[in-house]
Amino acid sequence: MTNVTDHGDRPVALKVAGLRKTVHSGFRRRSREILRGVDLEVREGDVFGLLGPNGAGKTTTVKVVLGLMRPTAGTVELNVEGLGEVGYMPENPYFYDYLTGREFLLFCARLFAIEAHERRRRVDGLLSDVGLEAAGGTQLRKYSKGMLQRIGIAQALVNDPKLVLLDEPMTGLDPLGRVEVKHIIEALRRRGKTVLFNSHILADVAELCSRIAIMDRGQVVWQGAVQDALADADGDLEAFFVRTVGK
Amino acid sequence: MRRVLAIAGNTFRETIRDRVLAVIVLFALSMIVASLWLASISLGQQGRMMKDFGLVAVSLFGLIVAVFVAASLVHKEVEKRTVFVLFSKPVGRTQFIWGKFLGLAATMLAVMAGMGLFLFVVDWFVAGHPSGWLPVAVGLIYLQLLTIMAVTILFSTVASAILASVLGICVFVAGQLSHNVLSLTGLGHGAVLRGLSWVVFVLVPNLSAVDIKASVVGEGAPDWSQVGLWGGYLAAYIVAVLVLASVIFRRKEF
Amino acid sequence: MRRRASVVLLLLLCAAVIVAFQVTRSAKAGSPARVFVPAPKFFLDLSPSYRTSVADVYWLYAIQYYGQHVRGDQRFDSLPAMLDLITQLSPGFKQAYLFGAFALIDARRPDLSYALLERGFHNNPQDWRFPAYLGFFAYTYARGNHKDLVAAQWYAKAAAVPGRPAYVPRLAATLIAKGGQRAKAMILWAQIYATGDTYSEQKAVSALDQLLPAGKQARMQAVASLQGTMSPAQFNDLIAALFQGYR
Repeated sequence: MTNVTDHGDRPVALKVAGLRKTVHSGFRRRSREILRGVDLEVREGDVFGLLGPNGAGKTTTVKVVLGLMRPTAGTVELNVEGLGEVGYMPENPYFYDYLTGREFLLFCARLFAIEAHERRRRVDGLLSDVGLEAAGGTQLRKYSKGMLQRIGIAQALVNDPKLVLLDEPMTGLDPLGRVEVKHIIEALRRRGKTVLFNSHILADVAELCSRIAIMDRGQVVWQGAVQDALADADGDLEAFFVRTVGK
Repeated sequence: MRRVLAIAGNTFRETIRDRVLAVIVLFALSMIVASLWLASISLGQQGRMMKDFGLVAVSLFGLIVAVFVAASLVHKEVEKRTVFVLFSKPVGRTQFIWGKFLGLAATMLAVMAGMGLFLFVVDWFVAGHPSGWLPVAVGLIYLQLLTIMAVTILFSTVASAILASVLGICVFVAGQLSHNVLSLTGLGHGAVLRGLSWVVFVLVPNLSAVDIKASVVGEGAPDWSQVGLWGGYLAAYIVAVLVLASVIFRRKEF
Repeated sequence: MRRRASVVLLLLLCAAVIVAFQVTRSAKAGSPARVFVPAPKFFLDLSPSYRTSVADVYWLYAIQYYGQHVRGDQRFDSLPAMLDLITQLSPGFKQAYLFGAFALIDARRPDLSYALLERGFHNNPQDWRFPAYLGFFAYTYARGNHKDLVAAQWYAKAAAVPGRPAYVPRLAATLIAKGGQRAKAMILWAQIYATGDTYSEQKAVSALDQLLPAGKQARMQAVASLQGTMSPAQFNDLIAALFQGYR
């Protein structure tokens, strides 16, 4: 494995500082603080793993970064020119039932105002990258969960983004599907893309990521190179995770 | 505008392929055929019955399609989290609302044109001569349904799909009765009631003002200048409602 | 297998109960002469868009009601209310007035019949059939010394309506010239036949059948005198109808 550790002089791709988010729910508008001052720094070329137990605030952080939610306090700096250079795949992606995979990707490409000829070229390339050439003409309601996951990754890459955010990309995939997704992420890293993903599967994280952040109860409790974490726990990321979160 | 059109095209494709739509339209067509039977026992009034019951079928089934598709459209995207995919791309919330509306309007156009053409042909067959006003009447029903669609989309940004459809149907019914609310304003039982009636009258779209069903079945020519004016009123109403929906949707978090 | 058989049995049993109830109950219910008819004001206060549709529903109802009672008890208690409702909701529904005028005669209410036609003429002044019917009804069903004069006045009005057939003024003139009641009545019925309304045609044919002499030769001669009251095509149809039993 080739984990990149020295990131010192590479420019910042994403910087989150002091992020807070309070939501109000229920009839009495009871408030709950989901994010309690999140600080994150992702450099260009990083494959960054965002870890944490359920409810730690990982997805919320990503949503705030994308503008799907507004922060109560704090700042988000993206070193890209707008959302046109960002790709995102939500958790458990669900798309339009009655569109075919190819139509869906072409639609996404149109949202980035990509020219018709280029659109077709890219969609063909992406379908083969995620192994869905044969299923491109099938309606999405007939896709299996793994196929939906893969078309989800394809739509996140349709604009050839500099920064890719993937929410639980391995969840619900069979071993073969996981290997394919790993290949895709590795390919992205080789092309110099910045990737940030959430995951529960620590083995994948250890294998793919250069840097990680561990979140717990709305805060980042540890942030650094994967190698440092591994070194600290005798190569057992799981033990390191349990120790860090349990603090 | 390109993004609005992309969303509109996508919405059209998604809704027109929905089987529920096909079922409802088939049902409407069979209702029109059933009017044939009603017409046959009408003592020589086949043409009149065909037009009248046919237009009622077109407007009611059109209403069902408009309300249920419009109510689920925005809500489904939020529920199934497809909005995450859209809004993580350079797509504005306002563009989303307008794209959805235009796509649905295109679907409705196809549905209404299909039902209208079918009614036109059946009526021609029954009455022995084509009725030029029939397509115009269907077009004006389409305008009424566009208004209801816009209203339902507005509701669906704040309420669940079921509630939004029920409210959409309520507004349709209220829109048919709206002239009556005005007569309430004249009753003069206290300033509060009168003021309230005025508010309701202004808020509810006056749909019956553009209905020419009575003229189609032979109740004298419609006042076209009035129909034109009220048509403009409904267009303005639609724009206002969609702008309001966009403003609400902009403030929404997912 | 046994389970399926019992399901089928249950289904058949239920179907039998449903059919039996529908058939026996509906047959027993019959059709009362007095039925509920809502006040026109109720529907007038509702939507203007659906007034004609309500009128049409009640039209279908009214002709069913008429048909049931004309063959049965000859009681038409609710017919006036129905016709009032239909013509108030759809003032341009000419057929409703014309049919209603005859049906109200069967209900032994010539006064209402006359009033209905007057309202019809008021709402549809461009249709010559209304004054023509009024003339006919005045002559046939009114009492008193002036009825000939009243009838002649209505025919004069009919003659003044643009679009009336050429024979209407001729008819008025002939009426005055002819002496015998039977001849006058025949001409008037022929004129009713000439209006081209399906229901009126039936009424006129059966009335003429009664009035005309039975012998073929005499009948031929009498019918010939009606030739001027209608178009040649209509006259041919009338002959066909009146000589159905003759060889």
